[in-house]
Amino acid sequence: MTDTDAPAHPTDPFDPNALNTSEGLNPVDPRYTHVLRVTTAMNLVPIAIAASVFDALLIRHLDGPYGLITALAWLVAIVMIVSFPARRMQRWGYRIGEGQLRVARGWMFRTDTIVPFVRVQHIDVGQGPVERWFGLSHLIVHTSGTHNSTVTLPGLPADLAAAMRETIRRHIQTDFA
Amino acid sequence: MSESIAADPAAAPPVAPAPAGAEPDWQRLHPATLALAIVKLGPRSLNFLPAVAALGFTGNWVWIVPAILAFVLISLAFAWANWLRFRFLVGDDEVVIESGVLSRQHRTIPFDRIQDVGIEQGLVARALGIAKVGFETGAGGAGKENEANLDAISLEAAQALRTTIRAHRSGAVAAPAAAPAGEAAPVAAPLAEEEDRLLFAMGPRRLLVAGLFNFSLAALAVVGATMQFFDDLLPFDFNMFDPTDWIDLAGQYGLDQWVIAHRWIAGLGALFSLLLIGFISGIATMVFANWGFRLTREPKSLRRTRGLTTRTDVAIPVRRVQAAILVTGWLRQRFGWHQLRLQSLASDGGKEKDHEVVPFAKLAEIDPVLGEIAIPRPASDADWQHSHRIVALGGFVGAVGATLGGLTAVSFGQPLGWLGPVAGGLIALGSLFGARFHRWVDLGDRVAIRRGMWKPKTTLLPHASVQSADLKTDFVLRPLGLATLVFGVPGGSSLATHEIPAIPRGVAEELRARILTAKARA
Repeated sequence: MTDTDAPAHPTDPFDPNALNTSEGLNPVDPRYTHVLRVTTAMNLVPIAIAASVFDALLIRHLDGPYGLITALAWLVAIVMIVSFPARRMQRWGYRIGEGQLRVARGWMFRTDTIVPFVRVQHIDVGQGPVERWFGLSHLIVHTSGTHNSTVTLPGLPADLAAAMRETIRRHIQTDFA
Repeated sequence: MSESIAADPAAAPPVAPAPAGAEPDWQRLHPATLALAIVKLGPRSLNFLPAVAALGFTGNWVWIVPAILAFVLISLAFAWANWLRFRFLVGDDEVVIESGVLSRQHRTIPFDRIQDVGIEQGLVARALGIAKVGFETGAGGAGKENEANLDAISLEAAQALRTTIRAHRSGAVAAPAAAPAGEAAPVAAPLAEEEDRLLFAMGPRRLLVAGLFNFSLAALAVVGATMQFFDDLLPFDFNMFDPTDWIDLAGQYGLDQWVIAHRWIAGLGALFSLLLIGFISGIATMVFANWGFRLTREPKSLRRTRGLTTRTDVAIPVRRVQAAILVTGWLRQRFGWHQLRLQSLASDGGKEKDHEVVPFAKLAEIDPVLGEIAIPRPASDADWQHSHRIVALGGFVGAVGATLGGLTAVSFGQPLGWLGPVAGGLIALGSLFGARFHRWVDLGDRVAIRRGMWKPKTTLLPHASVQSADLKTDFVLRPLGLATLVFGVPGGSSLATHEIPAIPRGVAEELRARILTAKARA
């Protein structure tokens, strides 16, 4: 294992980077929290509005418990928008080193992927409108495997993503030379 | 025709490609393709039925025959125009295809990029002596636009074309293809004698045995449903799955009293026809698919020919093989029968994701094939490791669901709901027992993964085929210190991923590190 040189000393379990430190991974850029927050808001606010309209138009006419659905929808939306993105950001981690890229994500269902540079078919660096707003990019690595044909690493500062792309590209070239 | 398709490709007359420096020698598809177009008209004319019906209902009977004639003529004219505007050129190192009546398409396929040349013959095509040639280029996306086909040219031309491409790919000079057969023979013949070995073939006897094990009630469901559906339409009122119908039948012969006294006779009759249909459909599907099955070793690939009505001829480049999959069944395992499939980068059309190279054989017959692709089976004393029992959890969740659903139905007064808890119990027992069959072993340059009790499946996965590896944990596995390894392997179905479930995390991390440092396959 290339990452066993990670610090073994006990870390503060309430430190935002505890998970990544214990696994020897680098955290993604904290600004990625804002990206997640904005994209979540863009998804959830319309749904909450739709639920409110449904509540007002239908449940009130049926003499049902008016207001329940509206309250629930907005509660869920606010929790998801305000408090979750920071945690979701902390669950992402990556490490680039010794000929391979390692990307980890999630907590309930945690997936830790390793792609050796030799196996990389091509590399994308992408930037969506929200990411551009915060100066971030995402790196997509394509492999020829049917499973994991693309491995995405979001939340990288734009210049770091470009630098990582160059690193991987150099490795591919030297391996083929 | 089966003889000619299996014939030594070196003996077939070559296609006549352009002599160097001369005007390119464009070729057309075989004229018999037009006859094929007429055959294809049959199903297509169904689209025309509503128009005919409309003419009939409006009382314009006289127009029906001219309308049909016009439809046939226009269709044929289109087929002919397509045929006229389709031409292809076999160059020194590429195939060029031009097609399209109004919008022209010009496609160039370099020989170097052709992974696989498939030859397929339907029933009519075999009668006409023509074959469809498909070029597998490994281009992504199995869309229609990405297909490169010659549909159809004469069988000899198809085989010669394949020999040409293969000769080019195996590094030989492209000259033998251009030369007459007599000159080509000295070059190709020793090669062929040395390399084209028969690895596996299936005779009628083997097909029959395989068919018996292929017992399938899937066809039964179709027949049963059809009989239900057409019950009123059938000229005879007899449902062979219904014991009361058997009693009626006996009644016609004055046997009804005897049969009612011996009810089990009626049940036996129903059971007997059930088994008969199951066996017959099993044998029929096996015979239609695998008649004349031959697997031969060619210089760089394994070649498979098979089929009764539709004969297919597929080459699987050995270097493109990513993994070998051995499948057997609970019963056939007792008799030592196995099936071998190869996962390859060149997929076998849309229907089959893996290439079935040995449909039904003993392990002693499969081992030489595995030897050819250098992925041998683990030795019998291999140190198999077990997955943790927790893999049964998925089954338990399903069992609880079935039980709850069944009990809900019972509480609504539906006695059939008791089937739910019964099924739930069976599922739970099955998954608990089946969990013992998840095992794996690392063999240095490949891992072997076994799973399944009812349908045991062994995957032999060379380390070098692994493109990426996931280490997955979740809220169930993590407290137990377990992890699941999932491998990204080219080819195959995206649904059937290769994974080693629920093994200790440290072992998983170490295995992953070992696998990912492997060099690409030679």
